[in-house]
Amino acid sequence: MDSEYSHRKLSHLRKVLERSGPFCRPDFEPSSESLKFLMQTCKILVIGAGGLGCECLKNLSLMGFRQMHIIDMDIIDLSNLNRQFLFRHKDIGASKSETAAKFINDRIPGCNVIPHFCKIQDKNEDFYRQFHIIICGLDSIIARRWINGMLVSLLIYENGILDQSTVIPLVDGGTEGFKGNIRVVLPGLTACIECTLDLYPPQITYPLCTIANTPRLPEHCIEYVKVIQWPKENPFDCSIDGDDPQHINWIYEKSMERAVNFGIQGLTYRLVQGVVKNIIPAVASTNAVIASICCTEVFKLASSCSPSLNNYMIFTNTDGIYGYTYEAEKNINCLTCSQTIKEIEIKSIYIKLKDLIQLLCSKNDLQMKNPGITANISGKIKTLYIQSVPSIEEKTRQNLSKTLFDLGLRENSEIIVADVTTPNTIMLKIKLLKNS
Amino acid sequence: MIKLFSLKNAKKDGESPKTGTQKKSSAAQLRIQKGFVILDINELNLPKTCGTEFPDPDDLLTFKLVICPDEGFYKGGRFIFSFKVGPNYPHEPPKVKCETQVYHPNIDLEGNVCLNILREDWKPVLTINSIVYGLQYLFLEPNPEDPLNKDAAEVLQNNRRVFEQNVAKAIRGGYVGQYYFQRCLK
Amino acid sequence: MASPIPKSPEQSEKNRKYDRQLRLWNDHGQALLEGAHICLINANALGTEILKSLVLPGIGAFTIIDGNKVTEEDIGSNFFLDADSVGKSRAHVSTQFLLELNPDVRGDYIDEGPEQILNNSPDFFNNFNVVIACAILEKSLIILAKKLWELDIPLIVCKTIGFVGYIRVQVKEHTIIEMHPDNEIPDLRLNKPFELLKTYFDSIDLNNFDIRDHSHTPYVIILYKYLQQWLINYQDIPRTKIEKEQFKQMIIDGVRKDENGIPVDEENFKEAIKAVNICISHTSVSNSLKEVLNDNSCINLNSKSSSFWIIAKAIKDFMENEGDGLLPLKGALPDMIADTEKFISLQQVYHKQANTDIEAVWKRTLQLLRQLGKPSDSISEKDVKLFCRHASELCIQRGSSLANEYDAKLINTNEIAQSLENPESLMVYYVVLRGVEKFQAEYNAYPGEFDDHVEPDIVKLKACISKLLGEWGCAPLAKDDYVHEFCRFGGAELHSVSAMIGGLVAQETVKFITHQYKPINNTFIYDAVTCSGSTFIF
Repeated sequence: MDSEYSHRKLSHLRKVLERSGPFCRPDFEPSSESLKFLMQTCKILVIGAGGLGCECLKNLSLMGFRQMHIIDMDIIDLSNLNRQFLFRHKDIGASKSETAAKFINDRIPGCNVIPHFCKIQDKNEDFYRQFHIIICGLDSIIARRWINGMLVSLLIYENGILDQSTVIPLVDGGTEGFKGNIRVVLPGLTACIECTLDLYPPQITYPLCTIANTPRLPEHCIEYVKVIQWPKENPFDCSIDGDDPQHINWIYEKSMERAVNFGIQGLTYRLVQGVVKNIIPAVASTNAVIASICCTEVFKLASSCSPSLNNYMIFTNTDGIYGYTYEAEKNINCLTCSQTIKEIEIKSIYIKLKDLIQLLCSKNDLQMKNPGITANISGKIKTLYIQSVPSIEEKTRQNLSKTLFDLGLRENSEIIVADVTTPNTIMLKIKLLKNS
Repeated sequence: MIKLFSLKNAKKDGESPKTGTQKKSSAAQLRIQKGFVILDINELNLPKTCGTEFPDPDDLLTFKLVICPDEGFYKGGRFIFSFKVGPNYPHEPPKVKCETQVYHPNIDLEGNVCLNILREDWKPVLTINSIVYGLQYLFLEPNPEDPLNKDAAEVLQNNRRVFEQNVAKAIRGGYVGQYYFQRCLK
Repeated sequence: MASPIPKSPEQSEKNRKYDRQLRLWNDHGQALLEGAHICLINANALGTEILKSLVLPGIGAFTIIDGNKVTEEDIGSNFFLDADSVGKSRAHVSTQFLLELNPDVRGDYIDEGPEQILNNSPDFFNNFNVVIACAILEKSLIILAKKLWELDIPLIVCKTIGFVGYIRVQVKEHTIIEMHPDNEIPDLRLNKPFELLKTYFDSIDLNNFDIRDHSHTPYVIILYKYLQQWLINYQDIPRTKIEKEQFKQMIIDGVRKDENGIPVDEENFKEAIKAVNICISHTSVSNSLKEVLNDNSCINLNSKSSSFWIIAKAIKDFMENEGDGLLPLKGALPDMIADTEKFISLQQVYHKQANTDIEAVWKRTLQLLRQLGKPSDSISEKDVKLFCRHASELCIQRGSSLANEYDAKLINTNEIAQSLENPESLMVYYVVLRGVEKFQAEYNAYPGEFDDHVEPDIVKLKACISKLLGEWGCAPLAKDDYVHEFCRFGGAELHSVSAMIGGLVAQETVKFITHQYKPINNTFIYDAVTCSGSTFIF
């Protein structure tokens, strides 16, 4: 077995992992153990088997990683083939994750890529907890925020101190045309996706009155058909599917009609597709650049051989090659990563909800005014009581005189409290006083 | 700098949760995405002309806003808006539609509402409260400059008196021009 | 406009496949890419990664030159080989694997090193659009670079060692038509309106507008109207900050008031005020454009002149005649608050003039072609149109010769000495990389390549570097750290570092081929440990 790790094939990697250098992390210990760890133990999840995901699987497998999972809900489309190089024309219609995994496993002997043909939301904590590092090549902000939330929820704090073994680093890449960015998130330790939500540019939208009454651009005509005409006429009895050519054709024809009526020039089929599907230009070379930097970061994290990117890098290669690195700052009010779970001690699980509320208002370190309380009860968010909203107050009033036990709470249950006295929600874990 | 893996004992457990840690439910991360909404809802500081209705108090993402203006053209009416808060809130605004047919320059007959912060001027720092105030303002100061309902806007611009009568007619239920409006008196 | 609404056009397979990139460089960029033939010297991991990112978007053809046989080490770092490739021709195997990526692309290979080809068939390189050299030895590099410099074919030299990457672009002359700037300055001609525009502006009287029309007048018209007012009292357009503020105040005062004397919310006036700084200026020609128009190649056309220079000369002639010192009009109007009718009619005024200007430049182009004895179809009207639309962005890059850089008497030692003063500068990697080349020439291996040679190689590499620095008249390196680091690397090619540099080289190649976007000038060094990159000019 050991000979596999000392194989000549791996000599490139062995040089940087088995020799020390002046720019290594101070805690880096060169040895053959590092490579063994990468190959045998280190488990990586690649989210997204698109332009970045395909590159990542290739890069990671040639950087010594063998235990990889890849998750993607999409199937292969003709328009993917200009950059998603693990797919061929014959694969159109097949699962991206399955096709990509098979390609890598066939090409790189010993590689064990496990595909998941589903949404990331279909997997639970136990699934995500098994990975050492997660690398993310997504074009969806929702999905990024979701995985970020998941990784933060996996953190464990003991007496308010983060247990670092629960930190799963997230390496995230994104591209647009000749530009791209890479970031390394250490959940709980450095800025998370939610801390810097305003880094994502808002989607381009146009005022409704402009698209309805004073269109000037072809885009205005397309938006009109998309936002107003489609729901009104409902031509195919369903919502718009940007991948259905019939739908795009209908929108093209209606938008063209509108453009002609208003004397607006420059409406093309390509533009219609772009606006309806919110298409971001993508090209193989930029994906290669961004994905490879992400993978170098994964390699550094996994081997500790070099310090990590701290923590955000952007590339703008429209005018020469221009890369810029900076440290995105953790937001101390971040709703996602800045709340450590506090504990609240109660005498008994049989106290009533109104007693709990009184406790929240009287406790020295809380002193709340009129807290709204929701709780996570067997996987569902339930609203226990919100005083400030009459219709909810009315429907939840009867909870006040129920015991916590009857409401489904137990020791270690978590409640989420919002109150005017804090800018943030507070997460409280119920603890029973020992001597009762 | 943290050393994430001390190589000797870095083998992660399979898909089983770590021993000795608290059990996490599959909705643990939901709290993060809904955190914004809980906060927003709890801080709803409604003007006395507005009320909310949550058909299911456990679902804070779907609710209705009822506005009963107490001054201006629309005094005496009762207008219902549906709110849907999506998974990308607050990066994206909630989807808001007017469920009451209303004769209004900035609201069309399909219930589309032309309010800048619902589309082009939305920012993640805004809240549901900001939208409520924006909607309420629409009833106090309908804006004929950039209309969705062009006919209503023209009338407002040319003859405020006629506009006032049309609004009253629509609220009581009846035809304004060729359109029939359902009664929506308070 | 009574023509029937067109039905949705049929999308060709190619259009659908390349959709995501056509949104970047458009159909004409794609056509250039599909007509291009590039040459790769040495199909190591870096080389195949570059080709991957060129084959996928559909480059016309590639030729690989590589005399090496596949080794075990190759397989560990190069994705376009497999376990069965060991001992086979690297050029052959990698060509086959790369061709699988895209059936539209033609590829061939020559199972010989660049040294033999340079010796045996010196004309071999004449017909490539770009030549890319990876892991090429210093001696052959200099011969190749000289040759391509004379042929005026872009050469990209690149390598990665360990965590460090290097790209050097050698191009004698490269012309750029579309720069794709992030923020385009609108070409509105407010201070010098053409006849058509002046007539249009003068036909509008803001004072006669009702509030609706007043608040839906495009800001371009507002700016023009107030500029006319301004020019009653002043000789020139507002230029200084104070004048611009005064001018803005004039516009603010022009906002309509309601019955109570309170200014109405007029969004278009707000836009006008915001636009003052960008739109109120003398229409001038940028320095980089002047450089193009005053270039010898532009002034003195000959039968070998490229289309670029012929159209540039036509534009220059246009400016000196009917253009009245100005470029052909762009003809694009940015979106602004306005009702449809006012916006479209204004847009049409600009369009119309732009078409007139294109027509004039086109005529001049044809005239030049006649004078040069070239066929009149060697430049299309479409080319001229594109040129006119982007005339303000035209740019020429003139590079420097690699052969000179490798001549101790001609190399830009100032750049080296100055950069080395800064301890953060990546120039130190350049110096060490040059030292490594010397080392390779002398010892026929990378420093640190063999586990039992690391220590002695440190001393030898240091000697190579000191010698170089001495020849350049530079002080020795302050620290030995970088020498140690490169001996640690031992010439290792880390796949993810090569993939990164490979992506960048592919981007630069596309820029050269399409004449869109601006390539680097002329050396880029990347350190993957600190994630920092720098550009140097040699």
